[in-house]
Amino acid sequence: MSKQQELDGLIKSIAAAGEKLPGPERRLFLKQGLTMLGAAGAASGAAGIGAAEAALPPGVPSWTKSLGTGVVTNPYGEPSPFEAHIKRRNLEWLTADKIASISFTPLADLKGIITPNGLVFERYHAGLPAVDPGLHRLMIHGMVDRPIVLSMDDLMRFPSISMTRFLECAANGGMEWRGAQMDRLQLTHGMLACCEWTGVLLSTLLQEVGVQKGAAWILAEGADGSHMSRSIPMDKALDDALIVYAQNGEPLRPEQGYPVRLINPGWEGNTCVKWLRRLKIGDKPWYHREETSKYTDLMPDGSSREFTFVQECNSVITNPCPENPLKGPGKFWVEGLAWSGRGKIKQVDVSFDGGVSWRTTRFTSAVLPRALTRFGVEWDWNGAQALLQSRAIDETGYVQPTYGQLRAVRGTSSIYHKNAIHTWKVNNNGSVANVQIS
Amino acid sequence: MFRFPELLRRCAIVVCGLLLASAITAANSAKPTAYYGYGEPATPQQIAGWDIDIRSDGKGLPPGSGSVQDGEIIYEEQCALCHGSFGEGEGRYPSLAGGEGSLQDARPHKTVGSYWNYTSTLWDYIHRAMPFTQPESLSDDEVYAVTAYVLYLNDLVDGDFVLSQETLTQVQLPNEPNFVPDPRPDVHNKRCMRECKDPNTISIKFEAALHVPTPTKVELPSENTAGESVYRASCAVCHDSGIGGAPVLGDASDWLARIGKDVGTLYSNAINGFQGDRGVMPARGGFTQLSDAEVTAAVDYLVEESR
Repeated sequence: MSKQQELDGLIKSIAAAGEKLPGPERRLFLKQGLTMLGAAGAASGAAGIGAAEAALPPGVPSWTKSLGTGVVTNPYGEPSPFEAHIKRRNLEWLTADKIASISFTPLADLKGIITPNGLVFERYHAGLPAVDPGLHRLMIHGMVDRPIVLSMDDLMRFPSISMTRFLECAANGGMEWRGAQMDRLQLTHGMLACCEWTGVLLSTLLQEVGVQKGAAWILAEGADGSHMSRSIPMDKALDDALIVYAQNGEPLRPEQGYPVRLINPGWEGNTCVKWLRRLKIGDKPWYHREETSKYTDLMPDGSSREFTFVQECNSVITNPCPENPLKGPGKFWVEGLAWSGRGKIKQVDVSFDGGVSWRTTRFTSAVLPRALTRFGVEWDWNGAQALLQSRAIDETGYVQPTYGQLRAVRGTSSIYHKNAIHTWKVNNNGSVANVQIS
Repeated sequence: MFRFPELLRRCAIVVCGLLLASAITAANSAKPTAYYGYGEPATPQQIAGWDIDIRSDGKGLPPGSGSVQDGEIIYEEQCALCHGSFGEGEGRYPSLAGGEGSLQDARPHKTVGSYWNYTSTLWDYIHRAMPFTQPESLSDDEVYAVTAYVLYLNDLVDGDFVLSQETLTQVQLPNEPNFVPDPRPDVHNKRCMRECKDPNTISIKFEAALHVPTPTKVELPSENTAGESVYRASCAVCHDSGIGGAPVLGDASDWLARIGKDVGTLYSNAINGFQGDRGVMPARGGFTQLSDAEVTAAVDYLVEESR
């Protein structure tokens, strides 16, 4: 195996990885990749694409005929460099700056239902704070018998529980209310993730402090510069609200509220206050900025809905999608994700003709309440233009609505809680576009 | 006259009542202890330091007051560069005033005056989260003053108004009656599998242009990569755009006088904060976790890129 063959293998892999990217990013990726190779090639004094064939059968690639690197070369493992395009992305024009902003999960490249920790979308209101866990405290006070201050060590002594639940920004897809605007799945649905969250049930902590008669709401407040605050009804606190210090088996990532955050399963992400420093128990909601000026839904008649917590049943096809085009006619495994803040997904149907006829799909993951659920169905594509849709139904019998049905009630100015049936247009050449149809 | 049994019954009620009352007092003085008993009791002093929330009925407001006139001075110094002199909002920073009657328009203009429901929210938010780079830096009286000025920008109070703990909840915001509870599920679809719509009615109403490039950062030539990364993460928010009167990266005329200064002065201003003619440079840009070395590296980067 020559240096030449190794280089050719690399070129092929980079080209393959680059193919998954939309145009401009692909060009940039390839350019950078080839520059890197150019340097390597110059050093070895050889370059040529044809020799890549030597790594393929009946040839044998260099890594099969040599030793690899040893353990703890990389003590905390990272994805293969060939997967560097799988990353969070942001939209510069969406927010005034990056400090109070959002990034998107690359849903098109993810498998199963668990979102890797480094790819969970970010949402900050005053940037990512550098919290020292040794100096972080959670204070619980207000209408309680025994106000307390807990260190992280104290918190971790309580009985813990783990649950796999989705986390979705209330504004996920909010740019699509007035029409199809985003060119890829990462931007149409990427304010979404699903992790196994581990922590202490909020109800356990409330029992510990002794909630007084008449208490009905809890203010959750973060330790970041915005002191993010939301009023949470006592019913949710006593149901399944979780004080979380770990995600997918490791301590919370800083982006996700390290060292401790609130998770209200099935509710809009904004209520799941990160870097949680304080819980105050009271008898009324506080009406803070994030539950009045923002995260309220403006209706066509000028009224606004407040405390719209639940993320209703929703779904989207992740393959194909703009980032995952079809490579010529043939059989394809069409798959996607469905979720509901009200419980488990009962059924997902898929249409290939813009909603005229529908086929049922089967689940290819665990079906958990308030979690992402993966569905799939085989499709024989004949190469003609097609309009792909998915429609989820949850265990309450709620059927995901069309854009027409959603807009007839809510208009186009509500920003939040858009859960309409989404349409991908597959073009003759296999490329996929985000469209909205009549 | 009471008959004897009646008198006895009344006495019994009084005695029993007294006994019961003393039993309750005993229970209150010895509250049941926590089951796990982890952590420390929160002391009144500890709570006072963090208990900053204000409720819509004014609960939590501290004593104090501030006038529209005082608010204007603070607003011009600390708020106008993002929110605009008239509350109109610079760039994509939120506008605070205007938009009355626009909520049913195709493009509603949501501001304190046109959309918010409670004055208390304004006080609470300014106090907890503003100014953007230096939250919790205003005194209570200053928060009253800035709140008063934002109300004035919305024509909700007169120019001689003084906002105080007593008067705040008396200022009602016009949109308050228009907030309603969540009625969902409010949109209903039915599961249909065959001939659900006429194929001839299907047309594409919107199509997002394919491959709209996500704006990619233009890499600036720089040897000072540490400084650049600190700059991007912490300084660019103001120094890329010039908000807060910040001299803009790469604008040589903006930086000429500053570069003329001893670089130690620039370092010191960046680390310790600085009140200039055009605005305030918060200590470490408000990113107090940055080390001196990180701040000076960012200054070096700024200077190098702006010559």
